[in-house]
Amino acid sequence: MTLTILSGLLVGILFGFALQRGRFCMNSAIRDAILLKDNTLLKGVVVAILVAMVGFAAMALGGVITISPTPFFWGANLVGGIIFGIGMVLAGGCASGVTYRVGEGVVGALSALIGLAAAATVTAMGFLKPIKDILQSSTKVMVGEANPTLANILGLPHYVVAFALAGIIAILWLVVALKNRDKGEAKSDGSIFKAIFKKGWGWLAAGIVIGLINMLAFWLSTLAGRSYPLAITSGWIGAVKEIIAVPDFTMGWDSWLVIGIIVGAFIAALIAGEFKIRWPGWAMIGQTFAGGLLMGFGAVTSAGCNVTHILSGLPQLGIGSLVGALAIVLGAWLTAYLIFVRGRS
Amino acid sequence: MSDAVKPTQSLDVCGKICPYPDMDTMTTLKKMAKGEILEVLLDYPLSVERIPRNLTKQGHRLISVENTGGPNHRMLIEAHGLK
Repeated sequence: MTLTILSGLLVGILFGFALQRGRFCMNSAIRDAILLKDNTLLKGVVVAILVAMVGFAAMALGGVITISPTPFFWGANLVGGIIFGIGMVLAGGCASGVTYRVGEGVVGALSALIGLAAAATVTAMGFLKPIKDILQSSTKVMVGEANPTLANILGLPHYVVAFALAGIIAILWLVVALKNRDKGEAKSDGSIFKAIFKKGWGWLAAGIVIGLINMLAFWLSTLAGRSYPLAITSGWIGAVKEIIAVPDFTMGWDSWLVIGIIVGAFIAALIAGEFKIRWPGWAMIGQTFAGGLLMGFGAVTSAGCNVTHILSGLPQLGIGSLVGALAIVLGAWLTAYLIFVRGRS
Repeated sequence: MSDAVKPTQSLDVCGKICPYPDMDTMTTLKKMAKGEILEVLLDYPLSVERIPRNLTKQGHRLISVENTGGPNHRMLIEAHGLK
């Protein structure tokens, strides 16, 4: 129990610190790619996925962890993912984004988070549960007894596919990067202290650090008996259950993780002088709350938010996470286009 | 230095989060004539770094970014004007 609390909190604080310093907002990463034609954050996300893909495979090979892909139910992955993507753009942040911004003092993020936690809980165990259950059970596909992954579909060992895929993506990326090599990245100046605590991290540093934290998360949560890397929504459901005092329930590793994220982001923002209670006005509070509700329903239906599917699921080669991730991107792009491109022209 | 420049228009996006500071800045700049100066007041760290990165792609020019305490920033931008 102590291990659960301490290691969950520790990983959460590290993750929250890195999210705040790295400006690691996956909503922005996905949305900016079409809206502002800015791929900076997206590159960080891809780096985090590649680090975890190689890291998880190596750790599984060493027997430290067991690869545990999310289930594949195409209907639920698609519907839940698209709804999550829509909600994410309305909320102004993904599940991890709204969590860490609470630590920065963003009130709009807090209202999104309350919406997310509430809708996630009623979808997991309340009046929306039947909808989720039907979507999941009627479209579930398995490979034998296992949840499908790229590896077990091909009939190859997990590490072979993970190493090969990560290698291919890295090489392709390098080729493209070398071709467009004119725009140099901004050079950092000043001391290492300043670079870590005062300035925003570059995408490469942020991606590597978050990939490494995810490996640490997988290892420590396995020791604590949970066996999954970083995730957000399930942690908030646990926190809600604790608050409404569900009998015989104690908060698990994932709940301590999400609480740690807020603490870590708060510390990071405070050191950098970026903490401030920011009030966006009632209209925006309503919009982010509604976005949070959609995210909560979507995440539980699809069995994963952006973190579970994209940061933790894709590196494990899960097909459910691949479909879930694509659906999130689709929902986000559609909404960003309608609100910010068509809505403003 | 930035005190010498008189802004034509001022935009306050404090408290707003992703992507509103960026989108509001860009859409305001789009409506401005060439050479007009936009003052943007913002407190969202990601946008403080991202707006300068994306301005130049639209042909606008960043005159200055000034930290006015904590996360608060004041940005001065010269509009490129409609094509």
